[in-house]
Amino acid sequence: MADLREHADLAARLLRRLAERASFAEAMLQRAAGETIHIDAKSVRASVSPRLAGLVVRAWAGTHWVEGAASSFESDAVARLGDEIAGGLAGAASTSAPPGESSTTVGERETQAHHPMRDVGSEDLIDIGRDLYRWATSVPGIRLAQVGVLWSDDERLYLNTAGANCRQLVSRPHAYAAPIATENGQSKVYPIFVGGIGGREIVDRLSEGDVATASRAALELLHAKAPPTGSMNVVLDPGTTATFVHESFGHGAEADQFVRDRSYLRPLLGQSVGPETLTIVDDGSISDGWGSVYFDDEGHPGQRTALIDRGRFVGALYDRESAAMFGAHATGNTRRSDFLGRTFVRMTNTLLEPQDWSVEELVEEARDGVMLEHWVSGVEDPQGGQMQIKVATGHRIENGRLAERVGSMALSGKVLHFLRDIRGIGRAQEFGMTPGFCGKGHSDMLPVGDGGPYLLSRAVIGPA
Amino acid sequence: MTASTSSSDTAFRVADRLARVPGPWDVYAVRTRRYEVHLVRGRVELVRGPIALEGYGIRLLRPRAETLGTGFQSSTDLSEEGIARVVADAETVARHSEFPAPKAELPSSGPAGPSLDIRDPALWDRPRETLDRYVAALVAAFEGEKEVTASFGSIKVSLMETSIANSSGLHAAYSHTGVETEVAVQSFGGPEGAPPGEYWVTAAERRLEPEKLGSKVREWARIARDVRHAEPPPNGEMPVAFPPEVLSEILPAALSFKLSGQARLQDLAPTLGTNVGPPDLEIADDGLVPWATGSSPIDDEGVPQRRRQLIGRGEVAELVYDVLHGNALGARSSGSGFRSGRVASAWLSFTHQPNPSTTTLTLPGGGGGRDEEVVEAAGDGIWIQQIGWASPDPVSTAFGGEIRIGYRIRGGKIAEPIRGGTVGGYAMAPAGQPSLLRDISVVGSEPRLCGCLAMPTLLVSGVSVGGEGGPRPTASP
Repeated sequence: MADLREHADLAARLLRRLAERASFAEAMLQRAAGETIHIDAKSVRASVSPRLAGLVVRAWAGTHWVEGAASSFESDAVARLGDEIAGGLAGAASTSAPPGESSTTVGERETQAHHPMRDVGSEDLIDIGRDLYRWATSVPGIRLAQVGVLWSDDERLYLNTAGANCRQLVSRPHAYAAPIATENGQSKVYPIFVGGIGGREIVDRLSEGDVATASRAALELLHAKAPPTGSMNVVLDPGTTATFVHESFGHGAEADQFVRDRSYLRPLLGQSVGPETLTIVDDGSISDGWGSVYFDDEGHPGQRTALIDRGRFVGALYDRESAAMFGAHATGNTRRSDFLGRTFVRMTNTLLEPQDWSVEELVEEARDGVMLEHWVSGVEDPQGGQMQIKVATGHRIENGRLAERVGSMALSGKVLHFLRDIRGIGRAQEFGMTPGFCGKGHSDMLPVGDGGPYLLSRAVIGPA
Repeated sequence: MTASTSSSDTAFRVADRLARVPGPWDVYAVRTRRYEVHLVRGRVELVRGPIALEGYGIRLLRPRAETLGTGFQSSTDLSEEGIARVVADAETVARHSEFPAPKAELPSSGPAGPSLDIRDPALWDRPRETLDRYVAALVAAFEGEKEVTASFGSIKVSLMETSIANSSGLHAAYSHTGVETEVAVQSFGGPEGAPPGEYWVTAAERRLEPEKLGSKVREWARIARDVRHAEPPPNGEMPVAFPPEVLSEILPAALSFKLSGQARLQDLAPTLGTNVGPPDLEIADDGLVPWATGSSPIDDEGVPQRRRQLIGRGEVAELVYDVLHGNALGARSSGSGFRSGRVASAWLSFTHQPNPSTTTLTLPGGGGGRDEEVVEAAGDGIWIQQIGWASPDPVSTAFGGEIRIGYRIRGGKIAEPIRGGTVGGYAMAPAGQPSLLRDISVVGSEPRLCGCLAMPTLLVSGVSVGGEGGPRPTASP
């Protein structure tokens, strides 16, 4: 893939032109490439990721930002974009600086994969997919499955009028297998997936044993009982804990919600919100983390930020504007979904750190309740502090032991009550990272990683 | 809608470069200008636009002995070299793909489909001015509400020109508009000391309707105030009233795949004639509803849109097909070949291959009367105003989500607000199993268009609600 620096001069000229009207301007150039293979019972569908490329430019108009984008690096298209943004700046009080510190970072980072996916080739990708399909349907009783192998190379170049110049190429492979069990008109699916930053070595983490286990779980779901409902003790598996950390807690710690006065967490900064064993961090610098960034889209390096330290809510995630408003520094969490989307404060990899409880000890401590397994989705509520996490299955807990399997269910309740009621945090041996996609509201989807161990607390369980 | 054949339409320009490429092939393109205004606590935070996006996708169909190789690639590069690279990519992919259709018959040139109201004329002619006036009216409407504000909000408008050409001679194009609204309505203050309440509004529509803003904001403010003193719902099975605003979050996502040729090809669709609801249940998929986000004169393969009766007399009556799934299964395309979402992601639809999908699910008004009468029929139960995310599973049709805001129904009247807990079940299930469609007890009389659905309020009996209270065993589905 050609280097985006070939368009750097064009973007720099545009920024110099805007600097005549605005105290600050920045540009993000992006180009994406990749491949996708989907295989189901009857078809092999392959596609090459869109050859999408373009740039977005933002300038400070004195009281607000003005922004435009174009899906072309042609000089005429970029000049037209400059005209439109300059028109939006006309009459603005442009001599005042925008809030917050402008990045002056200069750097270049590329994913160093052992086996880059771009070198694998379509035929080998299909072979990987066929293996996944074969593994899924080799379990007696499973005739159907949907599987896929995907990879993307996301190249971004950030420039601003303060001197920042950051280029990054992030390679993200992803693979999934979704065995489907059917019986008497019922269909149950049990998808599993892997993802990260790197190369084929990430895809290879999805093993034959993992896929076969998923197939057996899909079969068990056909006869799973309905879950109990109501308020009860709950043990979350690592993926469900990770979803809680991201959706239920993390979104409230995004400081653009502080600016909107839309976070139930903001008044609690500096206060204790959970047991001393509870630590939650966001870390965009994990080398193979699915949600990692080398530089964010304001030119700040990805970094580790403590959110809860030994039970105390100590930090939030900031962009330049929210950092200025709350006396903090930007934390490398300003992200655009792509050159078509705006910046928001976003998580990268958000983790609840493990402690020392075994699964058996957590179940015994719970005594009665339910274990939630295999997360499906989660929804944030940064204003109200409510939680909603949906899982595909779980087990009843009776007399301190795991009992019968139950089907899909949803966890709800208040996040602060859930944190307060944490009675045990699992150990590192069962810690798991989950690759996912997150929207800010209902749009601007981007890759995020979440992680956690088993966790015991109390919540409301309902149908899903 | 316009049925232009302007040489400036993107797909036609690309097709002109494909004269030497053997068919069958088609080109689908979208050219978009987008404008956005983002607000924080009543002030403008960010003005975006134009965001100019022009892109196309080329699909090559390569017949083999009994299957088709389907090659697809998309791009924003309209140069001669760029188009050549896209064709080369698609040829490579076609060599590795297998689709079980014995042939590929793309629609030829013909009628461009019926005329439709899917383009807001004021927005099309003066996008920035029209958007600015609308945002000013929105801000003014909130100024009239005591102790209520929009903690943030955004209005995004898209002006889109869709064009399709293929090797069978089809040249079709139409223009349309899209409007995305997101407003977090926050209530605060007052003597009760409760934390702020929020009603988070999101909507995808075709047009701006400033004349409706005043009544909308008053309604949003009322609900946001109710959030502040809402209590958890009860626990158990009970009658639940689902207004169309909530049904639109459940049924399209749950049924679009399940009632499609794609599901049938994978042996996941119900057979025609399967009973899925009461004998008077009639659900259609209508791609021609005026101003609906799913409406368009032709589908994304160029086949004219029409109305499809998916469920008749309570039984599955028709599935939706695109060209390839129709060819694979001995059926004709039902004009249901679509590439992605209707508004929010429509401008990137050129990056996807077509698949069969529903457009606007419709259910005619029944004898249940206005919403007040549906509530009266419920006796005791709950009214769902908004769920967090129904998260429907397209394979099983299971759905479930947190009750963001709803109301107890007591004695046939709306009572206190409720919030928290979850509601869920199956949207559609085989005979003998409970589901939303099977357990409809009352069909309201006033259908409303909400996103990809035009239905009245439905009262459903025996819905499982997970609220406060100790663990309660629930019957298996």
